[in-house]
Amino acid sequence: MSTIEGKDVRKLIVACDAGMGSSVMLASTLRKQLKGTAVSVEHTPVNSIPADADVIVCHTGLADRARASAPGVVLVPFQVFIGDPAVTRVVAAIKNGGTIDG
Amino acid sequence: MATPYTPTVHGTGVRATIQRFGGHLAGMIMPNIGAFIAWGLITALFIPTGWAPNKTLAELVGPIINVLLPVLIGYTGGRMVHAQRGAVVGAVATMGVVVGADVPMFLGAMIIGPLAALILKYVDRFTAERTRAGFEMLVDNFTAGIVGAATAIAGVLAIGPVVEKVTEVAGDGVAWLVSHSLLPIASVIIEPAKVLFLNNAINHGVLGPLGVAESVKHGKSILFMLESNPGPGLGLLIAYLLFGPRSLRPSTPAAMIIHFFGGIHEIYFPYVLMKPRLILAVIAGGASGVLTFLVTGAGLVATPSPGSIFAYMAVTPKGGWFGVIAGIVIATAVSFAVAAALLGFGRANGDQPDEPVQDTGTNDTTATNDTDDEKRDTTGETAAESVPATKEA
Repeated sequence: MSTIEGKDVRKLIVACDAGMGSSVMLASTLRKQLKGTAVSVEHTPVNSIPADADVIVCHTGLADRARASAPGVVLVPFQVFIGDPAVTRVVAAIKNGGTIDG
Repeated sequence: MATPYTPTVHGTGVRATIQRFGGHLAGMIMPNIGAFIAWGLITALFIPTGWAPNKTLAELVGPIINVLLPVLIGYTGGRMVHAQRGAVVGAVATMGVVVGADVPMFLGAMIIGPLAALILKYVDRFTAERTRAGFEMLVDNFTAGIVGAATAIAGVLAIGPVVEKVTEVAGDGVAWLVSHSLLPIASVIIEPAKVLFLNNAINHGVLGPLGVAESVKHGKSILFMLESNPGPGLGLLIAYLLFGPRSLRPSTPAAMIIHFFGGIHEIYFPYVLMKPRLILAVIAGGASGVLTFLVTGAGLVATPSPGSIFAYMAVTPKGGWFGVIAGIVIATAVSFAVAAALLGFGRANGDQPDEPVQDTGTNDTTATNDTDDEKRDTTGETAAESVPATKEA
């Protein structure tokens, strides 16, 4: 279990199985929401999460693979692809300050 | 809700392992889908029974499916294992299984591409410490060349014939299932596997390669439609819109658009996982869709990826619209009807989540409670009355 301050997040990774479908969708949503912040949002397959990721966002069904793929990185699992509270909190923590655990 | 950010991550190791393996299979195919679509368009247009038959242009069809696509798969598979060097030997090795084969060698490429790259990876590990300064380039080029040549030869002589046989046997098995109208039973396995995020693995790792072999032979294949039919998911989402928990209803129209037009099926998986018995609805929808495809003799030229209605229409062969559309419509209707019944037509779910959430450590309120979090730091008791945010869609 690790934590990160919202203001320290530089790279947010959205991961899905293939890194081409749902992750791209959520990443473009988050990119819009985080416009104006210094955070870069990228999407990747859950098996190849880059080493410099600060926060990983992925569906709970893929979370154990994300953990294995990037141990020690803050991981925020979510349940629904649209308007999930876990994701909303991450955005809020980055924008308004706050701690993200995962 | 003690730690709202972190539902405990659990789930069986077996599932993650299967997912990971399937992810590798799909990972070799999916980056190349653009090439598949290109082939599908060329085929649909220019073959003798196509929209605009053209003998010269139809010559593209064979080499692309028999050589280019397998080589791309082998290349991608090699790259996954050992970066650019792996990609190169993966492509070379794939030529070994491609040459002389009568069927498109997708399975062969998926085996030999990563294998060749793995061999090179070990060779590199062996030589790295023993190479004298200044000789790295010479050694690297020749080890890659030797591994590539050796695996290509092994492909021609050993792996190719074996995989061709396996592909034929699997194809015969599918033909048997089709002729005995048993294919709808596949939905019993496919639909649950989909919502466990094995959708890409099944479609691109298993059904796609078999479908291509069939498509080349018969001009179309039903196998492309077993997993990718957007009907069952759409039916489920409509049922949620009308009869689901009130807090979830507002998010479903956006989900439907993303699912049906955008082709991102992952969007509906959570709705099943939240009420696991709804798996019966998508199974019923999937099976009736497959049955409709069977009865009408429907098939697609290439794999529709993503599983969007637009992708479906693009790879439907000339004259095949009716069966394809009928299968999608019927799957939607059946899935909707079953899901609506399972949701008690809205009566069973007031606002209390009545099912434990499968595979996650959160409870339903986490999922349903998605308004701005400032107002929502308390538990989700009032979630049902509030309107979830769908603004980003």
